[in-house]
Amino acid sequence: MTEPLDIDALRESFLGEVFDERSYAVDAKKCVEYALSCGELAPRYTDPNDPDFQAPPTFPTSFQGGKRLPDGFPKLPGLGMDAGKAVTAMKPIRPGVPLTGRKHLHDVYTKTGRSGRMVFMVIRLELFDPDDVPVATADTSIVIRERPSE
Amino acid sequence: MTIERLQDVEFGEELPVFAPDTGLANVKRFALAAGWDGPRFTDHEAARAEGLPGALVPGIMSQGFLAAMIHRWAPEAQIENVDTVFRAPVIVDQSYTISGVVTDIDEDAGKVEIDLTVSNEAGETRVFGTARVKLPS
Repeated sequence: MTEPLDIDALRESFLGEVFDERSYAVDAKKCVEYALSCGELAPRYTDPNDPDFQAPPTFPTSFQGGKRLPDGFPKLPGLGMDAGKAVTAMKPIRPGVPLTGRKHLHDVYTKTGRSGRMVFMVIRLELFDPDDVPVATADTSIVIRERPSE
Repeated sequence: MTIERLQDVEFGEELPVFAPDTGLANVKRFALAAGWDGPRFTDHEAARAEGLPGALVPGIMSQGFLAAMIHRWAPEAQIENVDTVFRAPVIVDQSYTISGVVTDIDEDAGKVEIDLTVSNEAGETRVFGTARVKLPS
């Protein structure tokens, strides 16, 4: 049986440290398809000719790739499940403008129920424009259900 | 009726219910645009082979539905934050409705908070979220 994760040690060792950096391209056609398939009607998301054309506000949560967890992170005692996503928009994301994304472990916490302890890890992707101005953050919450001690 | 300004919003106001398109063709369209076109999202048989009840609507698509619903209600709304919890799977080709209610109005900041829930035909919550939205004054 895998040892339970030491939450305090994880927080001490990994919280806030950038463990991945990569570039993201934002394609206008994909933004439009994304918006229309979600049911968006606002032209600033669906019409590339709109003077305020921009990516849908939730688009950053689709960005993938790179390391999932920091180097040296302990083996997880189970398969992580996607528990949720949060996005914070600071500036419009304009298709065609490249973005830089930096990931860090933003939070680690637990909830305990009758079936054992669940560990939540929040990975935050911070996105910056070419002037290094923050445009958005996208959080992914991963939950691991630990098995109770036998 | 759509909302144009913050002053048009009432505390406790319910947004018009939105029935998102969770059909396979539309989910494939989204998955390709998002780069999330793995078989668990685009192929019922492949998803069942993974032990799932059917192809899944990606969680990020459910989040996109919430944003679209807000813009249908208030076309000029600037969504500042959407926090979404995936409580249970949303299955492709099944019917869902999204409800929303205004839970806070900050007139000084020009912002409202909205609670949003994706429910299946049995009325069970599959996804819920909270959005913070800025509206023109």
